[in-house]
Amino acid sequence: MNRNVKRTVLICCGPGCLSNQGMDVYEEFKTKILISGLDVDLRSAVETENACVTDTLHPGIKTDLETMVSPAVKATGCQGLCEMGPLVRIEPDSIFYTKVKVSDVTEIIEKTLMENRVVERLLYKDPVQGRKVRAREEAEFYKSQLKVALRNVGEIDPESLDDYIERDGYRALKIVLSQKTSEDVLSEIEKSGLRGRGGAGFPTGRKWRQCARTGNYPKYVICNGDEGDPGAFMDRSIMEGDPHSVIEGMIIGAYAVGSHEGFMYIRDEYFLAIQNMTKALEQARREGFLGKNILGSGFDFDIQIVRGGGAFVCGESTALMASIEGKVGEPRAKYIRSVEKGLWGKPTVLNNVETWANVPVIINKGADWFCSIGTERSKGTKVFSLVGKVRNTGLIEVPMGVTLRRIIFDIGGGIAGGRKFKAVQTGGPSGGCIPESLLDLKVDFDTLDEAGSMMGSGGMIVMDDRTCMVDVARYYLNFLSEESCGKCVPCREGIRRMLEILNDICEGRGRQGDIELLAELGETVREASLCGLGKTAPNPVLTTIKYFKDEYLAHIEDKTCPAGVCKNLTTYYIDKTLCKSCGLCKKNCPSEAIEEKLEGYFINLLKCIKCGSCMNACRFGAVKILAGIMRKL
Amino acid sequence: MVITIDGIKCQAHKGEYILDIAKRNNIHIPTLCHSDALPGQGNCRLCIVEVIEKGRKKVVTSCIFPVTGEIEVVTNSEKIRGIRKTLIRLLSARAPKNEYIDKLRQEYNIPPETRFKTDDNENCILCGLCVRACEEMGIYAISTVNRGITKKVSTPFDEASDVCIGCGVCAYVCPTSAIKVLDEGGKRHLWNKTFELMKCVKCGEYITTREHFEYIRKKIAAEGTEIIEPLCDKCKKKTLGENMAQTYK
Repeated sequence: MNRNVKRTVLICCGPGCLSNQGMDVYEEFKTKILISGLDVDLRSAVETENACVTDTLHPGIKTDLETMVSPAVKATGCQGLCEMGPLVRIEPDSIFYTKVKVSDVTEIIEKTLMENRVVERLLYKDPVQGRKVRAREEAEFYKSQLKVALRNVGEIDPESLDDYIERDGYRALKIVLSQKTSEDVLSEIEKSGLRGRGGAGFPTGRKWRQCARTGNYPKYVICNGDEGDPGAFMDRSIMEGDPHSVIEGMIIGAYAVGSHEGFMYIRDEYFLAIQNMTKALEQARREGFLGKNILGSGFDFDIQIVRGGGAFVCGESTALMASIEGKVGEPRAKYIRSVEKGLWGKPTVLNNVETWANVPVIINKGADWFCSIGTERSKGTKVFSLVGKVRNTGLIEVPMGVTLRRIIFDIGGGIAGGRKFKAVQTGGPSGGCIPESLLDLKVDFDTLDEAGSMMGSGGMIVMDDRTCMVDVARYYLNFLSEESCGKCVPCREGIRRMLEILNDICEGRGRQGDIELLAELGETVREASLCGLGKTAPNPVLTTIKYFKDEYLAHIEDKTCPAGVCKNLTTYYIDKTLCKSCGLCKKNCPSEAIEEKLEGYFINLLKCIKCGSCMNACRFGAVKILAGIMRKL
Repeated sequence: MVITIDGIKCQAHKGEYILDIAKRNNIHIPTLCHSDALPGQGNCRLCIVEVIEKGRKKVVTSCIFPVTGEIEVVTNSEKIRGIRKTLIRLLSARAPKNEYIDKLRQEYNIPPETRFKTDDNENCILCGLCVRACEEMGIYAISTVNRGITKKVSTPFDEASDVCIGCGVCAYVCPTSAIKVLDEGGKRHLWNKTFELMKCVKCGEYITTREHFEYIRKKIAAEGTEIIEPLCDKCKKKTLGENMAQTYK
């Protein structure tokens, strides 16, 4: 290794890795490297041949003077493969370690940093290729991805402005302020075809131009960081891992529309995002990227953080503005758009975190470059949080137009536990469930809409055959019944009644005509609701009825839950013809309900708590669900 | 500007709301959360209509939809009637025994609710008019509390409000008479608070709460108008008449 190249140890401290002691691994690296003596910059020591210094060092160092350059240790934002965290990367050697424990740190330092050897057991085993890979670029999970909005997330220390600047940070801002008029910026963003990443996919350039056109002042720009979908962490990862890209995007946007005041609305639960963002804002102010007379251009702009109280509905733009104004977070009708009358009745541009993070790249690389990625009507890339029953859960970014199959089976590595794919839920709680027959759908704003789902902000939850689709619909409706603001009748009362029906169906009280009634209520909620939350709330119900009607019928007519989820409707039994008497089911049963008799294994229904552990454990598919009892009776 | 509502040509100003134009032209659109004295809210959604603009149809809320171009409005299409029927069914499931809601249900030929769990004591449909009126009075004593299906109207922490003046405007605007103002024995009970009622200085009839009267007196004093006396409506008219008679004598 070239001794002039500085090594960097990048430890993922994204949300997933943090919860697996990522921060402890980072601290351990810092301390152990200090003790090992690797922390001393040895270049000077070697050059001056100062024997005293080298003598005091760890014995391992002496053997290979070429590697003796102090490695930088960095805690980065989310590196993506959350399933395998904590992740550690050593650059520029391109070594990628997964599931690193505090106890592994010494070994990594001694073997990899000192002796240039790879710790084989910590390498990532790619489930698709079935082999261990050394560099993360070799893994299927990373191969199909293209990082634009996430370009710095997981690559830099989010608390370091220098790290951001090193990777072209604030270059776009300098170009804009010194060489471009606001008209130039507007037309560049329009030309890029960038659409809002928060859900609705409204063309960003058009929104900005409408706001720029109004002669009413002051104008405001807002960043929506109120991500509240269950299982989504895209915006969070950007705010935590690369806060400056959002700030830079906002300054450019403000310059284009003529605003001097910005707000960043972040939900209060995102503690780290608020902390990193606050720090980044201070740094930006200190360096003259924010405040009066930015970079000597005469343009003034500053941003303040507003902490949201954790209401899902405050992710809706008008409710968010009401919340900033200090009012109850309820939406208003958008017959008069926010670009004309938004925050405090003034023209306002509101964009999602990911949208803002895309802006500096578009300026740097040009609209033509951005346009070359994606589909005809959806340009660029999209960040998804890929969760649920896939092998590789994590944060991904792919070009628009990649198929769902590629996302789930290549990047996601297929279904966990070798089970069968059933559905993928996109777009957060008010998105829809997409069945296997539509897996080759090219993911973009319009195709997902046509399938009855939506892009949303990018949540993607994969479900296997042990998922009950009625129960899924019930779960989302339950969430929405609590998170609807309750202002308008169709959303509040409609969701409540739909949930009531779904509860009945799941608990065995489903009636004839319930499916039709759900569809009728869904239609009214969709058509008559005031805001986007209500208009999309019936999606989980309507799509599951559309694609999985059989399951509804099984619940209502046969009083059976085919997936074995709804406890009232599930009776397990062991199919004697398939049972190999291996006893795994008995071993896994938490309630000692499985008994071994001469003829084989049996489930004692009096003891069975219907958890499904036996079914999950059986490798021969011998544990089955009794179907159609009601019909037989 | 001229717009068409159900085939009738109607004069309209830019920015006017469809509901107001329809009312002026005697075209009936049902509403619950609308009061002519307050800005439109768009909460009950009963006033939805279909707007056809440049050949494209969309469902809008007529009480808050401002007219900006020469549009065609249909207030009673099959689609609108269908949605309205479902909305009334939902309202009726919420407040099944409420007189006004029940009348509406019968008007739209909806059978009494049997599928859903109902609460016979519920009268509030959460239209929000009371909160809006209280705000407009400048009192801010009540607000909607909680979200989603647990939403309700109340004072902060359900306690007797410091600022409530017991004027009863909330009850006055309520379309379903869900808010009850209880006056007995010279006392008024409203929102967990008991108020003392003031008597008319002439006839001794109870007029309103002391807080309400003081509130009005202060407002009027701030405007520089003559100080008023606590009089009931009848005595007020009588005094006015007497004054007038005196003047022309």
